[in-house]
Amino acid sequence: MNEKTKFHPKELIINNAIYFILLALIIIIGVISPNFFSLDVFRDIFMQSSVRIVMALGCMFIIISGSADLSGGRMLGLAALVAGSLAQQASYTAKFWPQLPEMPVVVPVLASMLVGVAFGAFNGWAVSKLRVPAFLATLGSQMILFGVSSLYFNKAPNNSQPLGSFTEGFSSFGSGSVLEVPYLIIVAAVCLVAVWLLLTKTCMGKDIFAVGGNPEAARVSGISLFKMQMITFTLAGLLYGLSGSMEAARTGSATSAYGNAYELDAIASCIVGGCSITGGVGTVGGVFAGVIIFNVISYGLTFIGISPYWQNVVKGLIIIGAVALDVRKYARKD
Amino acid sequence: MMKRVMAVLVAFSMMLGVTACGSSGGNSAVPASSGSGDTGSAASQQAENTGKQPVAGVAWYNFGDTFIANARTTLNEAAAQDGKIKVIDADSQNDIATQTNNVNNFYTQNVKYLVLNNINTNAKADIIKQAKAKNTTLIFANTDSPSDEEFQLYDKVYHVSSLADQSGKIIGEQLAKYWKEHPEADRNKNGKLDYIMLLGLQQHYDTQVRAKYSVQALQDAGIQTNLIQEAICNYQRGEAQNQVASILQARKKDVEAVIACNDDMALGAIEALKASNFFKDKNSFIPVVGVDATKVGVEALKNGTLLGTALNNPVTLGKSIYKLMSLLEEGKEVTQENMGIDGITVKDHHIYINYVGITAENTEDASY
Repeated sequence: MNEKTKFHPKELIINNAIYFILLALIIIIGVISPNFFSLDVFRDIFMQSSVRIVMALGCMFIIISGSADLSGGRMLGLAALVAGSLAQQASYTAKFWPQLPEMPVVVPVLASMLVGVAFGAFNGWAVSKLRVPAFLATLGSQMILFGVSSLYFNKAPNNSQPLGSFTEGFSSFGSGSVLEVPYLIIVAAVCLVAVWLLLTKTCMGKDIFAVGGNPEAARVSGISLFKMQMITFTLAGLLYGLSGSMEAARTGSATSAYGNAYELDAIASCIVGGCSITGGVGTVGGVFAGVIIFNVISYGLTFIGISPYWQNVVKGLIIIGAVALDVRKYARKD
Repeated sequence: MMKRVMAVLVAFSMMLGVTACGSSGGNSAVPASSGSGDTGSAASQQAENTGKQPVAGVAWYNFGDTFIANARTTLNEAAAQDGKIKVIDADSQNDIATQTNNVNNFYTQNVKYLVLNNINTNAKADIIKQAKAKNTTLIFANTDSPSDEEFQLYDKVYHVSSLADQSGKIIGEQLAKYWKEHPEADRNKNGKLDYIMLLGLQQHYDTQVRAKYSVQALQDAGIQTNLIQEAICNYQRGEAQNQVASILQARKKDVEAVIACNDDMALGAIEALKASNFFKDKNSFIPVVGVDATKVGVEALKNGTLLGTALNNPVTLGKSIYKLMSLLEEGKEVTQENMGIDGITVKDHHIYINYVGITAENTEDASY
């Protein structure tokens, strides 16, 4: 991950702090418990990170464009419920939609993405057209989403029972693999590449950075703020929705509690991964590392048997540390 | 950060505004299994009776909890059908401050009965004193019991709840039975049952008691136990799956059983175990027990992954709360006979809802 290992050691460390912290963590855990260095362990970590990566990539669009989004977690939750309700075996007696036949895996996945797109577009519209500050608009939709999830989950005949008994196709989407690589990791990798291409190789990507870096200048140079906000929120919604069906498939279930506070983890991963909270800055690699670092902490500390409460302490310290380094990075540029 | 704090405050005040209105008995959700399909007529009956009906305020700890959702539906339907007592309820969203507001709101509305799915478990004496000052009948529901001294404070205090230790004991006994019948389950041949314990919330009463009594039941059965690792998974399936995956990578050959304080976590553990090549055939079976007997949990019992679970019947809880209020309203004594509900034990001002052990042999007992 860190190829450039010459010159200006201090600058190098500050600029790539996230990678060094990650490396240090892995080494510390590995020293305490050497069997941490195994392929299975890393596959587990990537597997557990896959859902969070897709979600954080969605969040990344929002943060780079200088906006905020608190609705992501609950959007994942609703998408997981919708996907789960459409992915049940025909023979299951407690089916959510008793009259529906068994459906191929694409149906629940597409449905979850549709849910995300709809609510993402709603967020974009509320922010750009209604001019509600993004923070409050998405806080509002977070509540709406949770309410809708709860209503959907409580719908007869389900009555708030956790959804389960998914079709073979949907289950293997969550736990199957090809050539030892789980499908979910492949999906996350495809999303990483797609978002990287979109942000770095297209005009739209450059516009997103421009809007976040300096909205005034972007507007003057002919970029439509309305259009960019609609695009970023809708794209984010699409990814949140996809991560919802991934989470349902991975865990083999869905409830209205899914996704609770995931948006804060996603925001933290983006920030720790080097996205500037004020917008205009961020890399796909950084966000990827940001997600991995949090999963290494939770997986690794459980692995070596440390109390889960320490996990929160360590995570909190890393967030503060990473942002402190980040601030220094920009302070020197000014 | 300041903004976020403000936002949270704004959010809470908004949510309070919503919940304060409460919701009336005519809940639209009809449980498929309870078979009572006449919500419509019940609702109209309720409308006729909204004159000087006594009102019961019910503060549930969290509407989003499956168990609560079922109990709530049952209670609201019982009230709608009977029409004697009007039930209004509120969601405490698992937050003590919200619950306190809910309760004050009910007092402002002059409720005659206050049903409290109490989460502020260290403030029971204060809660009882407040009820006494307001001359409101106080029913602690689905929560730990006030102490004998606290009961002395006020004569109109009742307690309707399951005994959490019973659930722990039941799943411990299920595990003990399996262990004794399957000597090969001692995979590392150390003569001890090495288990992972999956906890809900650390300070949660049910979690503590279930964990304690399940292990106690194993030890009472003469089995030596060894805790491999304890993980707090907030009752969430995904978290249990993640943590068990990690524990398995570190200490797979020592893991001989998983005790989970609810079914969702048990099923999360099963997902992780499957990914780690357990449950492939008879030889790779590993006993996992949970609590709740959710529909997906029962499905897992049937397909042979989950070993056992314990049912806390939410329908019995909902019915018992209403029946208790209705007896008090009629001025009748609260006794086992007068309650007339199966699966409960009445003792003074306590109504205990009995847990039922569910395994693959009696899955039909899990439908309610």
